[in-house]
Order: sequence, then C-alpha cells, then structure tokens
Amino acid sequence: MTRGAFEGVKVVEYATMVSGPYCGKLLADMGADVVKVEEPPDGDPARRRGPFPGDEPHPERSGLFLYLNTSKRGITLDPEQPSGREALQRLVKWADVLIDNHPLERLESLGFGWETLRQETPRLIYTSITPYGRTGPRAGRKGTDLTAYHGGALGSLLPPRSTDISRPPVKAGGYPTGYHAGLTAGLATASALLARRATGRGQLIDLSEQESIVALVRGFVGAVIYHRLTWSRVPDRPPSLGRMQCSDGYVVSYLVEDHHWRGLVELMGNPEWAAGEEWNSFPYRVGNLFKIGYKIDAWALQQKAEEFHHQGAAKGFAIGTAYNAEQVLNYRQYASRGFFVDVDHPEAGKYRYPGWPYQMSASPPRVGCPAPLLGQHSGEVFRDVLGYTADEYRRLGESGALGEGVAS
Amino acid sequence: MTARQTDRLPLDGVRVVDMTWVWAGPYLGSLLGMLGAEVIKVESRSRPDFFRRFVVWPLADAEPEELGPNEGMMFNTVNLSKLGVALNLVRPEGIDLIKRLVAVSDVVIENMRAGILKRMGLDYEALRAVNPRIILLSSSARGGAGPEAHYAGYASVHHAVGGGTYITGHPDGPPGYAIGDVDLMNATAGAFAVVAALYHRKETGEGQFIDFSQCEGVTALIGEVLLDYQMTGRIPGRKGNSDDFMAPHNLYPCWGVDRWLAIAVETDEEFAALARVMEKPELADDPRFATAAARKRNEADLDAIISEWTRLRDRDLMACQLGEAGVAAAPSRDARDLMRDPHLRARGVFVELDHPETGPRDFVGLPWRMSGCQPALKRPPLLGEHNDYVFGELLGLDEAEIARLKESGIIE
Repeated sequence: MTRGAFEGVKVVEYATMVSGPYCGKLLADMGADVVKVEEPPDGDPARRRGPFPGDEPHPERSGLFLYLNTSKRGITLDPEQPSGREALQRLVKWADVLIDNHPLERLESLGFGWETLRQETPRLIYTSITPYGRTGPRAGRKGTDLTAYHGGALGSLLPPRSTDISRPPVKAGGYPTGYHAGLTAGLATASALLARRATGRGQLIDLSEQESIVALVRGFVGAVIYHRLTWSRVPDRPPSLGRMQCSDGYVVSYLVEDHHWRGLVELMGNPEWAAGEEWNSFPYRVGNLFKIGYKIDAWALQQKAEEFHHQGAAKGFAIGTAYNAEQVLNYRQYASRGFFVDVDHPEAGKYRYPGWPYQMSASPPRVGCPAPLLGQHSGEVFRDVLGYTADEYRRLGESGALGEGVAS
Repeated sequence: MTARQTDRLPLDGVRVVDMTWVWAGPYLGSLLGMLGAEVIKVESRSRPDFFRRFVVWPLADAEPEELGPNEGMMFNTVNLSKLGVALNLVRPEGIDLIKRLVAVSDVVIENMRAGILKRMGLDYEALRAVNPRIILLSSSARGGAGPEAHYAGYASVHHAVGGGTYITGHPDGPPGYAIGDVDLMNATAGAFAVVAALYHRKETGEGQFIDFSQCEGVTALIGEVLLDYQMTGRIPGRKGNSDDFMAPHNLYPCWGVDRWLAIAVETDEEFAALARVMEKPELADDPRFATAAARKRNEADLDAIISEWTRLRDRDLMACQLGEAGVAAAPSRDARDLMRDPHLRARGVFVELDHPETGPRDFVGLPWRMSGCQPALKRPPLLGEHNDYVFGELLGLDEAEIARLKESGIIE
C-alpha cells in the first residue's frame, strides 16, 4: 500500500476559479487533507463556468470545477458572519497551509492579515495568490487570466507567424494563467512545507499571477538583454518549420540539429531544391529557410497529419499532430501509460480526467474522491475536524453562516 | 516582508545531480538551486549543453555565428544557481565518478532520450544500488514507456500533442503553438514532483523514480477542455481572446503600431467604471450592455465602441486609468516592455548578476517572494568551473588523483 507524498498535511483552501484551486488539487491528489471553503449561497464561481453535460448549467456538473477540485472535502462558510469568521479562524488554526486567491484586502478585512496570522499561527504557511503580488505600485489592482497573460508578455508570441498585425495577439486557450500560477503556487507551498520540517516555522508566500507568467518569458527577456532582440508573433525570424498544414489537420515540428533536417529531406524524397550540402548547417538554414519554406509547405499539404507525425518521428525529428480534445482522449501513448483517470461523481456522472505528468514509484498521486458537492462535508469537518459539539454545529447552522437552510 | 539572506532556504542541504540539457530540464534544476539545493550540472566537453553556444536567430548586432561555451543566452537564462562539472561520459571511469556523486546526493534529474541512461549504466536500479534513498526524475517528450517513448520532442511539439495548440489562436485562423514557455511550465511541474518526493522521503525514508512526460504536462493544464468534449460531444475550438461569459474581454488597438490593451470586465460595477473612464457613463445604462449576459450578446457592438475609444489613446496610460478605477486592464507587453515596468522592478523580478565572460546581466529570478528568506540567485556556471570543488572537496579525491583524471581526459 503506497501513501501520498503529502499525507497528513492539512490545508484550508479559501480560493476560487483556477489558480488557488489547482494549487489545492496538486496537494490533495498527493494525499493532503484539503478542506475547500466556499461562500454561500453559490460557492466557487467555477461551478457556474461549465462545460456542462448536455449544455445544461448545474452547479454540481461544471467540468472546470469538477477537474480542479478532486480529492478535497468541501464546506460552506460565510466569513462575513461573526460565527463564520470564528469557524474560519478555528480552521486556520487546524491547518498547516492556507491557500487564498481573494483580493489582497479580503483576508485583512476579515481580521486574518498576515501579521495576525504570523503571530497567532507561527507554523502556518500562507500561500497568497494575487494578480500582481502584495507589494509594488500595482498591488491590489484587478487582474484576470487575460490581463496577466498579456501583461506578462506571453501573449505577444501568439499566434506564432502572424502575418496580419491588424489582428491582436491572443492568449493560449483555456485558463493558462490560472493553471500556471496554481502550479507555481504548488511548488512554492511544497517547498515551504519542506522548510517547515527543519525550522518549525511557517511563511508567507507572495505569489503574483503576472510574475508566474513573466517567469515563462525569461528566455525572451534574455534575448533583449543579450542580443537586443525582441521576439514577437510576426514571422520575421526564419521558420524552423513550426506549424505545417496537412491535408487533414496540422502538425508542429521543430528542427534544430542537422540530422533532424536530413530526416525531413529524406521523408520528402530528397528533392533537388534541398539537396545541397550547405543545408546541413544550422546557421545556413536559419538564414535561408525562408527561400524554400513554401516548397516544404506545399509538400506538407499533400500529407496526412498522423502519417507525417509518425513517419517524421521514425526519422528521429521532433514532430507532432496538433491534436484536438477527441484525439488527445484517444491518444495511444496516453492509454498505454494509463494517464487518464475515470472519476465517477454522484451528480455529474463518470468522465475521464487527465491524470498527472509525473508517475511516482513510491508515492503515486491519485484521485481520492470526486469534487465535493456544495457543503458536502460541512458536518464532518466541523464536528470531527474542528470538534464542534452537535449543539455548536446546530447553532452555527442557525446563524446562517453555512448558508440558507443549512443546519445539522 | 523582512528577509535575511542568511535564513534557511527550503532546499538547504539537498544535493542534486543535474544531467539535463536544453531548456525544460535545466530550468527544473535551476528552480531547485534557487530554492537552496546544491545543484551540480554534469556536462561533457565533447557534447556540452548545446544551448551554451546557441545563437537564436540572425541578430541585430553583428555577432559570431558560434559563441563561446559560456556566452549563450539560451543556456545562461535557465541555468542560474548551479555548479558545473565537465566529465567524459563515455568512458567507464567517468560513469564511475557520476555514481560516486550520486552516492552523496539526494536527487538526480535527467532528460536524455529514453534508454540512454540505461545504456550508460545509470538507470534507476543502478543508481539505487549506490544510493538506496536516491530520487531520480527522468523527463522525456512522451514518458519513459509506451509505444512512443522513443519519440523526440521540443516544447512546441509537446504543446501540439498535448492538446494546447489546437485550442490556441483566432477562431478563423490556424492553431497556435506555444514555444519555450511550455518547457518552463513543465519544469515547474517537475520541480513540484521532486519536492514532493523529498517530502515523502523525509516521512518514510524512501526514495523513488519519477517518470515525467512533457506532453502530459500540457494536457494536465487543460482538464476542462477534455471534459467539454465528453460532456457536450463538441470539439472545443479556438476562441481568440474571448471568454464564454465576460464581455468586454479582448485586446483593443491603441495609438501606435501593433499596440494593444487587454480589458476584462466581469461585473456591472466594473463595466460602469470602464464607462466612466471612457467618459461615456451612459453605456452602463444602455440595455445592450446593462448586464453581463447582455454585454456578451452584444459583444461585437461593445468591442467596436471600446476600440473607437482606445484607437488614438496611449496604451500604458489607459491601463493605469482603468487599473485605478477598478477595471482589470493591462497592455499586451513584449519582453522589452517588461524590463521597463516599474512594478516588476519594485518587486525585484529582475536580478543583476555579474559573469566573468559576458559581464553583468539582468536575469528573471524565482517567481514568488517568501517571508524569512531570499532565493539563492547565482550566475550560471562556466563549463567545468567547479571540477575541483566537486571532485576534490565533495568526493575527496586527492590532488594527484584529480591530476591523473584530468590528464587521462576523464575530468574535462
């Protein structure tokens, strides 16, 4: 019987949408006891985002919420109510980690500022995720997935090889900022847990969503500093082929080494226009690929994407089909690695969720339970975790702090 | 936040043997180094990390086509906070030195093609024989087992296969592949797995093997997209900058060439604030835009009205005005803009580090702040720079032995 790496770690997740909840999921899927706090009456807005089965909105069937909240327990709590605030305080005292992605002033106004937390719960790790961080001239400003992605300069590279600059850059599909900020927060929190084993002390992690994006463009910052070179989405740089359109879809390839290039030339049947010895040099290709790029594109357009993908891989160069969701779900390599996890949720039903990119031999991650129903674990958390008596819990319910109509 | 340089870092006392190269693996090692681990990058002179000399594209300034091994920007930016050794990795004595290093280390990371580590006699079983508590992370394009385990890959290809490319781009345009950022994202996920394994080891004494798939790293970050297909039967496509619920939620053209402002409005209050900054407060009462649902329905009209306002105005000024008014807005920046951003400067995002061959340069450090400690930020290592420390002090080889190994070309 294996155990999760973070078994025994207690986490309170007071967070919504993507960044904080993904951080919580990373820990929960590794065995941490994560209690997700949602505010009544509606809970996490991710419950309203969908996708929904059959396009019918239902707060217990939102795909975004279901994926991001596996392996957690869920309670409802209104921290604006005195009894709710007291309950949150008891929860924070119980916890090793508090994950929060509310606006900067939110916890402060509830009486949970970092200074208070630090004094009252010196072992607490407080993972604070905000759009711009807790300090600096833009601290406290609003931000979203879109603004952090573009403000952090990652959008300026998309879509690649745009020829029409009257159309704007785009962000990557989905919630790229939220996920990456959550991932970064997961690493920061895990590190702080490791540090705490040695020091006995908690810490504040001040994570800016925008900076988590800036960290991903460090190479492009380097290009500016080293070479006065600013990358962008326009095709002013020679293609190392990048995206190619095929008869039935697209492939993406990246050719760097000379043998990669020769592999492609062989696959194209050694055309005369690519035969010269000079092409076997990376600097030469960089300077001249533009001249024959259209011929390669014309050849690619005659190929089927999947055939090109696998034949190219057999030749030893990096190439892949731009898979859509259906293709990803049916991808043979994922099936053979058991990447997907079937999760059966009592309200939403059974779906196939992505697993984890890390297979761990001694502490494999797993989905401990499906995402919680709204308030599903309020009773057990208050009674068993926080030690509320039946009477105290009933009074808490009657106070309205758990939401309308919620009482033991 | 008060911080003392001398305070304990999360990974103090952890030693990492870093046999990665290119981009994703090296940044993973660099993250561990910034968190306090002693990371030893192992290279060989016959086949050093090829980004050491890599010139990205034709450059603005005349520069040599090949750089010296310590000058490459692509290497230096993702190899902060490490030591560097150079070894002959073909000869048995070189492999033997790696094993001795592994014996006194906690973590090994590598991203060579599937099967190469085994051929070198350094697979998990072999490493465990010299250090039963070792944690090995092997990172590959598609994972260490399965029909495509041997496929080569770079970031853009992982993005395509993992499903990210298909959903990125304008709705009527081709799919948009991401590039190096995918590597760095996967490095972050890999570092998380390593730290989790270190935590597990503290609890149980067990080491372990971590098999990391870069393509899966992409897919794990689009879970709801895969659920979308299963729940609705539709294949999710490209949506540009739009959001299913929010409007405005787009990039708007500003004064200048290719300058854009991102604006995202969620609530009616935010929309009223936007309307006030635009000096068109009446928009907030216009039935076409009075609720989120109405704004989304009339998004094209709304985008046209906002574009008309932004078109002849300065991007950065509008971002400021909107930010102060409580609206989420940001310029679409490029890397050059980032360098000048006073907010990022104030938060210490850029750190200047001196380097004996390139001179001082700014680098992007660790993407978060911790109370009580500062990340360990050190310039990237020169090729073979720390041979004497690692083989002498760490492994305890005497001077004569080191001289002999250098002489015979084992230590390079």
